[in-house]
Amino acid sequence: MKLIWKLLRRHLSIGQLVGFFFANLLGMLIVLLSLQFYEDIVPAFTGEDSVMKNTYIIVSKHIAATNALGGEAQTFTAADISDFESQGFTRRVGTFTASQYQVYGSLSMGGMGMGTEMFFESVPDDFVDTKWPASRDGEVPIILPRSYLAIYNFGFAQTKNLPKLSEGVVSMVQMDLRLRGEGGREVTCKGRVVGFSNRLNTVLVPQAFMQKTNAELAPNAMTEPTRLIVEVKNPTDDAIATYIQDHGYELENDTLEAGRATYFLKVVAGIVMAVGLLISALSFYILMLSIYLLVQKNAEKLQNLLLIGYSPARVSRPYQLLTIGLNALVLLLAFALLFWLRGIYLERLWQMFPTLSEGSVTTTVLIGFALFVIVSFFNIIAIRRKINRLTPRFKRLKGGLYRTINGK
Amino acid sequence: MNTITLHHTLPRVFRGRTDIQSDIWQQEVTFERGHLYLIEAASGTGKSSLCSYLIGYRGDYEGTMCFDGHDIRELCTYDWTVLRQRSLSIMFQELRVFPELTAWENVQVKNQLTQYKSDAEIATYFETLDIADKRDTRLGHLSYGQQQRVALIRALCQPFDFLLADEPVSHLDAENTRVMGELMMAEAQRQGAGVIITSIGHHMDLPYEKVFKL
Repeated sequence: MKLIWKLLRRHLSIGQLVGFFFANLLGMLIVLLSLQFYEDIVPAFTGEDSVMKNTYIIVSKHIAATNALGGEAQTFTAADISDFESQGFTRRVGTFTASQYQVYGSLSMGGMGMGTEMFFESVPDDFVDTKWPASRDGEVPIILPRSYLAIYNFGFAQTKNLPKLSEGVVSMVQMDLRLRGEGGREVTCKGRVVGFSNRLNTVLVPQAFMQKTNAELAPNAMTEPTRLIVEVKNPTDDAIATYIQDHGYELENDTLEAGRATYFLKVVAGIVMAVGLLISALSFYILMLSIYLLVQKNAEKLQNLLLIGYSPARVSRPYQLLTIGLNALVLLLAFALLFWLRGIYLERLWQMFPTLSEGSVTTTVLIGFALFVIVSFFNIIAIRRKINRLTPRFKRLKGGLYRTINGK
Repeated sequence: MNTITLHHTLPRVFRGRTDIQSDIWQQEVTFERGHLYLIEAASGTGKSSLCSYLIGYRGDYEGTMCFDGHDIRELCTYDWTVLRQRSLSIMFQELRVFPELTAWENVQVKNQLTQYKSDAEIATYFETLDIADKRDTRLGHLSYGQQQRVALIRALCQPFDFLLADEPVSHLDAENTRVMGELMMAEAQRQGAGVIITSIGHHMDLPYEKVFKL
């Protein structure tokens, strides 16, 4: 093998191989980086949420100074709801039920106590994506918006020198709840935060608990809902935005914007990836041309080796190993650069989206390896075919005549 | 492989010519294992073509050539590879050696493939042919006669049923020609192989069993 390599490395153009190396590295890096960046940034828009699917939108009526003063209804009537339900883009509509009593929640940690007035809301249980997590006896499970914790941690705690709280710590603490309704009726119970949501901008409790406490504490209050939760078929559908605007409604979360942003992000990432693939394909051609040229320049030597008994497979091997080696080096270097660049942009992303969870690198790594395998496979086949052409082959023609294919 | 037979073969460039007077072309010819043949040829009679056909390098001839009765045109690349490693050794007129490798490496290129001779045996060949001091010299720096001797050693580093030597001694003096002939015949006899030598005049003085005029 050493001798064969000594023979066949002649006419090897380092310049061409370096050209291939960097072109392939660039292509590979662009493909992997665009893929990984997409993976990492998409959760910031879609907010893959354990509590609420991204096909849910929350709708309220527009609050303007005039109707706030004039007492125009900001609640949804049964007619509003059924109209919403009849729209083509709607899958189903649920209503928010608000607590009709006052809530005072307090918690104590290590001798330090905090308390606040608060409120509860609930939506039909089947709109909560995950089942209400089982809570310990008598504790009311509560889902908080993740932004509340962020406000506390980055706004409140920082200025007041209070400890920052992680989601885990908050979930460990039991809360004392005092509910006070009509005519001084009062209920006390325990509560516990069981989850956080990026998308639901309210303090959510189970529907059953809400119905029970409302019936108990405010049996006479009957109000129409102020907010609707709607499951739509496709959050990027333009018809939704039009409908909402026409009826003077407001979207409370940015699902639609996020849907569009995600779509554009997908398109941009796709274009960038296509450019990367194109560069990869071109670099593949550089390598193939370089190897073809090499085979051509060394044709006589290769032919001599074949004539003294070397098999085409054996004389192909040095070139095949060379390309596999180069491809592997490109892959490893592309991974190294990818993780380095990813470290840099993740830091920036986290400054913008503190709650952003890190995307997975598995897909990118797998795609990288898949590209490596595919490109190497085609390299191996192409080299072998090229070398095979150096060996004369005969073909029987009509009438018993023979013609040499290739060869002389 | 025990026989090489030529059934009415003719290089395609000679097609249509009526003046061919040859013991080989357009004849029924059989070469048998264990025998020694000389093919004498004038320049331009197709000697090198014959060798190219037999080693599977070219196929531009009419008629058929058979190894043990099998048409060699039916052989695939793999068959040829095996044949060239185990049954058919050829010393090319144009040598087909590698000038950028040393004399020793040129032989090793073949021997590493076949694992047929020990380093000691090869070294003895170098001594016998009086090129031991050229072992580590790049082949391109050797004279044609010296290169011919290296090519012979390479041709002997494999098992063979037939040894085909195309003008093996064209550039050698009488003494080296004699030594080369002895080496070749010793190895061929050891292996029980057939030997086919071509020549355009100056040839080894060996007990040829049959002489063909091409």
